[in-house]
Amino acid sequence: MMNLRCLGILLLSLLVLLTVATPSAQAQQRDKVVLLLNWYNYGEHGPFYLGLARGFYQEEGIDLEIQEGRGSGPTIQVVGAGSAQFGYADVGTAIRAVTRGAPVHFVGVLVQTSPMGLIGFAEKNIREPKDLVGKTIAMTPGGAVDTIFQAFAKATGLKEGDYKVVSGDATTKRNAVIHGQADVTTGHINDQNIFIEDATGKKVQVIRYADYGVNPVNNGILVHKDMLTKRADLIRRFMRASTRAAEGAVQSPEEATDALLKANPKAGKREVLLAGLKATIPLYHTKHTQGQRPFRVAPADMQATLDIMVEYGGVERAQKGKPEDYYTNELLP
Amino acid sequence: MRALWKWIRWVLESDAARPLVLIAVVLVLWQIGVTSLGIPKYLIPAPSAVVDQLIGDWLRLLREGIVTTYAALGGFLLSILVGIPLAIAIAYSRTIEGFLYPILVFSQSVPKIAIAPLFVVWFGFGAIPKVIAAFLLGFFPVVVATVTGFKSVESDMLDLARAMRATRLQVFRKISFPHSMPYIFSGLKVSVTLSVVGAVVGEFVGSNSGLGYLLQMANGNFDLPLMFAGLVVLALIGVLLFILVEVAERVCVPWHISQRMDLSTAMY
Repeated sequence: MMNLRCLGILLLSLLVLLTVATPSAQAQQRDKVVLLLNWYNYGEHGPFYLGLARGFYQEEGIDLEIQEGRGSGPTIQVVGAGSAQFGYADVGTAIRAVTRGAPVHFVGVLVQTSPMGLIGFAEKNIREPKDLVGKTIAMTPGGAVDTIFQAFAKATGLKEGDYKVVSGDATTKRNAVIHGQADVTTGHINDQNIFIEDATGKKVQVIRYADYGVNPVNNGILVHKDMLTKRADLIRRFMRASTRAAEGAVQSPEEATDALLKANPKAGKREVLLAGLKATIPLYHTKHTQGQRPFRVAPADMQATLDIMVEYGGVERAQKGKPEDYYTNELLP
Repeated sequence: MRALWKWIRWVLESDAARPLVLIAVVLVLWQIGVTSLGIPKYLIPAPSAVVDQLIGDWLRLLREGIVTTYAALGGFLLSILVGIPLAIAIAYSRTIEGFLYPILVFSQSVPKIAIAPLFVVWFGFGAIPKVIAAFLLGFFPVVVATVTGFKSVESDMLDLARAMRATRLQVFRKISFPHSMPYIFSGLKVSVTLSVVGAVVGEFVGSNSGLGYLLQMANGNFDLPLMFAGLVVLALIGVLLFILVEVAERVCVPWHISQRMDLSTAMY
C-alpha cells in the first residue's frame, strides 16, 4: 500500500513538472528585453554592445540585456518558446525550424552576404574548389555551414568521393586544421580564420561560398510571431536602435569592439575581435541592398536562401512557402 | 471487476512489471501533454513520433548503436584492466596509496567534456578518443569499489589465515580477492553505464559515426524524433550492458548476500 502511495506522489510530481516546464508565452515586464545571440561573443556582435554603450536602446525606452548563445538552433528554439524576446540567428537554420513548427519571424537581417566558407592554411595551397580534390574537410554533422557546403559542392562540381570528411564540434574542427588532421574546415570567414591565424601565426586561406554563387543570407534578428502583432511598437523601437548601432559600428568598428570588450572582457583578444568585425561589415549588404540602411533585406536574397534550404537543407518543398513567410522589413526605420 | 483489480495489483507488485508500468504511464502522460497542449515537435517530440522513428530507422540506429557499444565496451574493458590492478596496488601499499589516490580523486573532478576535444587532437578521429573518454568516465568507480573491497576484509580472517601459515598469495587468492568480488561488481555496474556516456561524449566531440554523431546531426537539423530515438537506443545499450554485468556477477559470486536475496524472500 505504501508503495502505491509513493507511486502516486511520484506521478503527481511528474505532472506538476510537466505543467511547469510547458513553454508558454509569459507576460513580459514592460520593455525589459533580452537579446539572445547566436554564439559566444565574437567580433560580429560588436554593434549590439555599441548600441548599449551609446544608449541607443535606452533612448527607445528599452532596458536591454544581451546574452551569449550556444548556436543558432538553440537561440531559435528559445525565442520560439518565448523565453527571450529577440534572437540573433542564422536565417537558413531558422527556415528549417519554421518549417518544423517554430513560430519565429525575422524583422531584419544584418549579415546578408554569407561569411560561410572553407578555411585552411595558405601553405596548403587550396585556393579554388578544384584544389579540394583528395583533401580532408572538417565538418560538424547537421551544422549550418556544413549544410550549405552541399550547395557549394554542387555549384562547383565537387562530388562526394572527391574529398574526405572528418566530423567534430566547433572546437574540434578548428583544432583539426591547426594540428593538420584536416586540410580545411567549414566555418565563417569573419571568425575561425582570424582565430586560427592569431593562434598559429600562420597565414590562412579561405574559399567563400558566396564567391561561387552560393549565398544564403546569414544572421538576423528574429522574434516570436505573436510579437509582430502584439508588440510591433517594441520591435520598431528595438530595430531603430539596432540600425543606429549597426551604422555606428560601420563608422567606428574600434568603438564597437571596445564596447563588446567592456561588457565581456573575456570575449577574446581585441585585435581578433576587431578584425572579425571589420571582416563582417562589408557583408551587411548584397548587390540588391547596396546603399540601404542596415537590416533591410532584399526579397531576391531571401528567395535564394529559401531555394538553397529546400535543395540541400532538408526543407520539404511542400512546406516551403514564400520568402515573406519568414521575414518582414516593415518594422525597420 | 474483482479479477481486474487483482490483476492490476499483481502487475503493480511484480518487480519486473513495475518499471514498465511507470514508463507506460509517463509515456501516456507525455503523449497527452504534447498533443493537448499543442507543443510543437521542434521543442518536444511526441512519443508516437519517436516510436515511428525507431521503427523506420532501426537499421541506421542499430548500426550507429553498435559503433557506440564497441567504444563503450573498449573503455569498460580498459577500466577493468587498469582499474582493478591499480586498486589492488593502492589497497596493498600505503606508499602507492599516498602518491596515487589523491591524484585519482583530483582527476575525477576535471570535467571530461572540457578536455575531450584534446583527445581528438592527440589521437585523431578514430575509435581511440572515444574509448579513452569512456575509460576516463568508467574507471574511477572500479578503483574506488575495489579499494573498498580489499580494505574491508575482516582482520580476524586475515589473522586466522596468517596463523595457519598461508602465504600472501594464498591470502590474496582465497580470502581478499573473493571477499572483494561483490564490491568490484558494484563498481563495474556503475562503470559500465558511465562508459556508455563517455563513448557518446567522445563521439560528440569528434567522430564520423556512432550515436553521438547521430545525436549531433539530428539536433542540428531540429530532427527531435530522431534525436530521442537515438537516446532510447543509447539507454537500451546502457541497460543491456548493465544486465550483462549483473549476469556475470551472479555467475562469479553466487554466494553473496545480495545474490541470495531471492532465496531468503522466497522463504517467507
